[in-house]
Amino acid sequence: MAKRCETFDHTADVGLSARADTLGELMEALAEGLMDVVCDRAGVRAAEWREIRVESEDVEALAVDWLSEVLLAFDADHFLAAEVTVREASETALTAELAGEPYAPARHEVRTEVKAVTYHQLSVTRRADGWAARVILDL
Amino acid sequence: MARGFEGRIEQIDENRWRIPREAQKGMRVDGVIYSSAELIADVIDGGGPAQVANVATLPGIVGASLAMPDIHWGYGFCIGGVAATDVEAGGVVSPGGVGYDINCGVRLLRTDLPAAELRPRMKELVAWMFRDVPCGVGVGGKHRFDAKGMRKLLGEGVGYLVRKGLADEADREVTESGGCLAGADPDAVSDQAIKRGSGQCGTLGAGNHFVEIQRVEKVYDAEAADALGLAEGLVTVMIHTGSRGLGHQVCGDYLKALRSAPGKYGIELPDRQLVCAPAESGEGRRYLSAMRAAANYAWCNRQLLINIVRKSLARFLGRAQSSLGLRQVYDVAHNIAKMETHTVGGRPMRLCVHRKGATRAFAPGHDELPQRYRRIGQPVLIPGDMGTASYVLLGTEAAMEQSFGSTCHGAGRVMSRKQAIRSAAGRQIDKELAAKGVIARARGRTGLAEEQPDAYKDVDAVVECVASAHLARKVARLRPMGVIKG
Repeated sequence: MAKRCETFDHTADVGLSARADTLGELMEALAEGLMDVVCDRAGVRAAEWREIRVESEDVEALAVDWLSEVLLAFDADHFLAAEVTVREASETALTAELAGEPYAPARHEVRTEVKAVTYHQLSVTRRADGWAARVILDL
Repeated sequence: MARGFEGRIEQIDENRWRIPREAQKGMRVDGVIYSSAELIADVIDGGGPAQVANVATLPGIVGASLAMPDIHWGYGFCIGGVAATDVEAGGVVSPGGVGYDINCGVRLLRTDLPAAELRPRMKELVAWMFRDVPCGVGVGGKHRFDAKGMRKLLGEGVGYLVRKGLADEADREVTESGGCLAGADPDAVSDQAIKRGSGQCGTLGAGNHFVEIQRVEKVYDAEAADALGLAEGLVTVMIHTGSRGLGHQVCGDYLKALRSAPGKYGIELPDRQLVCAPAESGEGRRYLSAMRAAANYAWCNRQLLINIVRKSLARFLGRAQSSLGLRQVYDVAHNIAKMETHTVGGRPMRLCVHRKGATRAFAPGHDELPQRYRRIGQPVLIPGDMGTASYVLLGTEAAMEQSFGSTCHGAGRVMSRKQAIRSAAGRQIDKELAAKGVIARARGRTGLAEEQPDAYKDVDAVVECVASAHLARKVARLRPMGVIKG
């Protein structure tokens, strides 16, 4: 099963629904899904790299904390991530690399302002055939 | 995601519905929803009532878990929710009771300009202002505050801008809480939040935020309107925005910091998004200190934006600002938690009042009101959707008695953003609005579709309901002429 992430409707907002074989790929799929909500990722070059490390008390909190860091990279540093590689992932910690470039309004299409990653109806579950997650974004 | 409410809900009178305390395990007080025969079906479908019941389980809640007629589903607390907790009895504060956009609110500017004079140039004016007002995703402001400046801004709010020559004392006086909540602590705000906020003060943002050029269409109370500087046919400008990335980060940081608090204080929660801590505990105090700092930031944000709007308008008209009668009417918060004293069961109590998508509506004579408005009551600014109307209301004694001095905050969404985009497919929302006499410009590709009038409840019905319940009284209805969105 290839990793994938789709969006679903939620009241005023939008949710991410992801599937993958491993927890690391699941976290990659979620982060890529988040960036697809934020911008047209196809137009972003992988010109710079930055490392992100997250530790949390459980796997669901880890998903929220991880995605919050990816969002923060854009909102605080204007860094758009095009590619996401999770190097190591456990249920309570994750090390990853974002490849992307600084936001350039003339070249990049930014789509939606994401305020935050929420805990509402949050789920990260291990299944017989891999991992699945649902996360709702506050727009 | 519409979900009907399966618990018990019973009509009290024409404007109120009750979820009795027995309806759900753990409820400490009743839930009371202000609504009307016209609005209640959508309310029940919208997922809000279950959240009103959940909030009723919070430790220390007094009176009732309230919802205003613009109630709709939100994170943890519904939008339109009002909940007051008894601080001395271990009452809690919950970041979810304020929301991600801390001190999102509305500021209104009045002018001496006749709408008829601007109407023929509205397209030009909207394009002009759209260029001047920083808006949209990833767009920074004209002001950058260094670390020291940010600390002062967070700690002192609009008072700091007055000292810097970036705000008039006259504006500060007609801003809720004077544009500064005491007890704000910049040290409680994370470096990440400060980083997100340092370049965004004086920016509109995106989503439902806007600058709107309006015409006073109808005055319901001439004397009060006169006191507010409003008269039929005059132009007003309304600004709706909040604390930008800084507030979002503060909320996220404290939802995380408070994850372990319910366990520590033995609080059972029906929803993880309702995390909370006693307002007087270390965790609760720290959140309140950070939330206040974010609220101060939001007032500064709206202050810098009103400066931009004034300057832009004057330059467009080629006239001096002083000749246009540009006076701030008021500025209200609609996502905030405040320590206030209210009479409950005949005795005054110090309460932590959460208003999430709800507006303070203090009665005439309240000592927190500016002198100028003490006789008429607190102005309440209700933004509607961009095709319909906004309202100016005043606080009442009934609001003090029934709702901790609170009323509604806007129209309230009925459609998800994706639904709205789907419903706009093949339509030209800007042309539909233009046919209604509204010129709208948005930065984002989908902004107008997401915010189209059909995505919102009928603001007239919401306002009629609070007026009929006496939670506010109507002063004026404002019609949009030009809208600038992120």
